[in-house]
Amino acid sequence: MATEAAVTAQEALDQDNIIVARDVHKWFGNFHALRGVTTTVGRGEVVVVIGPSGSGKSTFIRTVNRLEQHQQGDIFVDGVEMTDDVRNIDAIRREVGMVFQSFNLFPHLTVMRNITLAPTKVRKTPMDEAEASALKLLERVGIPEQAEKYPGELSGGQQQRVAIARALAMNPKIMLFDEPTSALDPEMIKEVLEVMKELAASHQMTIVAITHELGFAREVADRIVMFDEGQIVEDLPPDEFFNNPRHERVRRFLSQIL
Amino acid sequence: MATAETWQPAPSLPPPRIETGWIGWARANLFGNWLSGLVTVVTVPLIVWAAWRMLGWLFGTADWTLIASRPQQYLIGLYPTELAWRPLTGWLLVSILFGMAAAMWGGAARRIAIGYGAVTVLLGVLPYGLFHEGVVMPWWVRAFILGNLLTLGIGYLLGMNPKTGRPRNFVLGGIAIYVLLLLILIGIPGVPGMEEVAPRRWGGLMLNLILAVSGIFFAFPIGVLLALGRRSNLPVVKVLCVVFIEVFRGVPLITLLFMSQVLVPLALPANFPVDSVTRAAIVITLFSAAYTAENIRGGLQGLHPGQAEAARALGLPGWQVTTLIQLPQAIRNVIPAIVGQFIALFKDTSLVYIVGMLDILEMGRSIVQGNVQFTDNGRENLIFVAAVFWIFTYTMSYVSRRIERNLGVGRR
Ligand SMILES: Nc1ncnc2c1ncn2[C@@H]1O[C@H](COP(=O)(O)OP(=O)(O)OP(=O)(O)O)[C@@H](O)[C@H]1O
Ligand SMILES: [Mg+2]
Repeated sequence: MATEAAVTAQEALDQDNIIVARDVHKWFGNFHALRGVTTTVGRGEVVVVIGPSGSGKSTFIRTVNRLEQHQQGDIFVDGVEMTDDVRNIDAIRREVGMVFQSFNLFPHLTVMRNITLAPTKVRKTPMDEAEASALKLLERVGIPEQAEKYPGELSGGQQQRVAIARALAMNPKIMLFDEPTSALDPEMIKEVLEVMKELAASHQMTIVAITHELGFAREVADRIVMFDEGQIVEDLPPDEFFNNPRHERVRRFLSQIL
Repeated sequence: MATAETWQPAPSLPPPRIETGWIGWARANLFGNWLSGLVTVVTVPLIVWAAWRMLGWLFGTADWTLIASRPQQYLIGLYPTELAWRPLTGWLLVSILFGMAAAMWGGAARRIAIGYGAVTVLLGVLPYGLFHEGVVMPWWVRAFILGNLLTLGIGYLLGMNPKTGRPRNFVLGGIAIYVLLLLILIGIPGVPGMEEVAPRRWGGLMLNLILAVSGIFFAFPIGVLLALGRRSNLPVVKVLCVVFIEVFRGVPLITLLFMSQVLVPLALPANFPVDSVTRAAIVITLFSAAYTAENIRGGLQGLHPGQAEAARALGLPGWQVTTLIQLPQAIRNVIPAIVGQFIALFKDTSLVYIVGMLDILEMGRSIVQGNVQFTDNGRENLIFVAAVFWIFTYTMSYVSRRIERNLGVGRR
């Protein structure tokens, strides 16, 4: 995978790469949050993103479905360039599912309706079909009996699993996770990680996950990417990342969080 | 140690007994410390004394003949007596909605419908004439009023039927009844018995209710649009909405009502067919819409930004993010404020006396002033009118509290 070397236009169109970022810059006012991020993610790859707080991890994965706009550089997702073109953005968002730290379930809708909303409104799936597949998804994440409850009636771990089911309901090609377990109590982290592991193991979709669950990273990641100060400082398979990182910065960071 | 000790959770005990009964309550709340004891000792006798005098007046000295002899004016103002069957018919239609609501939502809606039905029966069997002043109530008026029980029942059946008892039908039925009611009251030129009765001649409680319902009916959607417009990315839309909201919030309603009579005609062709009542209704509606808009905008601003982000990340287009995710939550969060706004609107309908309309308050005042025998009954009149207003506003805030409670349960 090319990280340090500039990604060529050829790579952008390469069918094997589902996400291609070339020299991406992003400013919040005067604050330079992303300072030239270049990376590619292959189809079916599982990438774990780590890095200190404020290093730009969230900002980067949010540029992938354009919840944030980058100001310089190019991002291609599934061969489509992320620009201001609303049709492109909507097309990409349908293919990219996202799971947030704070779940962001819709509190005024039942669990079932949370999951069926986007398929019925965006993909125009008939309601009965959408409900049937929502039930299957709830079974997959282990809480089929909660369908008619409201999010506020569920535990944090259950809510996050519903949020995963909601994202999966659109049949996305890519799933983005932004610290999905860091708002959870310890005993609930495991149930969410189990679901994520199962997803990763199925190899049906590309996963980019920001998480500091290193056990998870070691077990399922193809690569670990570390951000610092708006840049990628390291990008290696887990074995090498933990045992033989090229940068001293990685060691220092690992010693801080372990 | 032969076996590991098994862990036993402590038994769950009932809470410690607190003093109950009214003595315990009084000790805790009225004489908790010396200061609250002092306050109690001073204020309670004052309250009892004032209440005693008030009750003595209400049931002793006060003379309610005024109210009993002029119910028609209080209800429909100077609407022609021989056409009173038209408002009565409108009343019958409205009862259908009460019945439907009771069947569809139960709980508070049912209790309100029961109270409503009880009041209707009471009015229907009163010994004196509700209409046709001074005459014993004609049988057909009684039939009309008691007929509300029938239409209430019809509404109830419609509401119970799973085919017809849907919120959508309730809203559509409400709109249809609203339009029909206005048509019946105004009349259809050329149809016998349906002579035109200009809105200028409407009055009494009927006028307050029509103005309030029209106001709420239009102020809510206009307020939603204004709130969204104020957040719009289009500068023109945004500026227009801000100017509109700030102008209508910055000027007293009385001033706006005067302006509607004096200034608006200047801007319209000389014989533009908008009478002064309609103009007043429009001003009240827009005034209320400006406040509703600010309430809803507050609700939108209070939402977690993650809600819109999650919706956008799912691929929902912008307008659906607004209508399906943000608005429902924002409106739910500001229901108490909006209901408060509508209560204010209902009370403000009394201000139409400024444009010469005889709403219930002004009607009462002119009965007192225009009849020598009632000149001493100003107090009775005011108390009666205040009680009528209070019954309606209290019902509204009761409904609001119930809605809040029903929406609040575990759904945040
Ligand atoms: N909307 C915003 N406006 C201004 N500054 C922002 C905004 N979003 C992020 N930033 C800043 O950009 C930097 C990168 O933020 P980002 O959220 O990407 O960090 P992160 O690596 O995800 O950190 P964390 O682990 O705390 O989530 C931070 O310094 C943050 O303060
Ligand atoms: Mg972050």
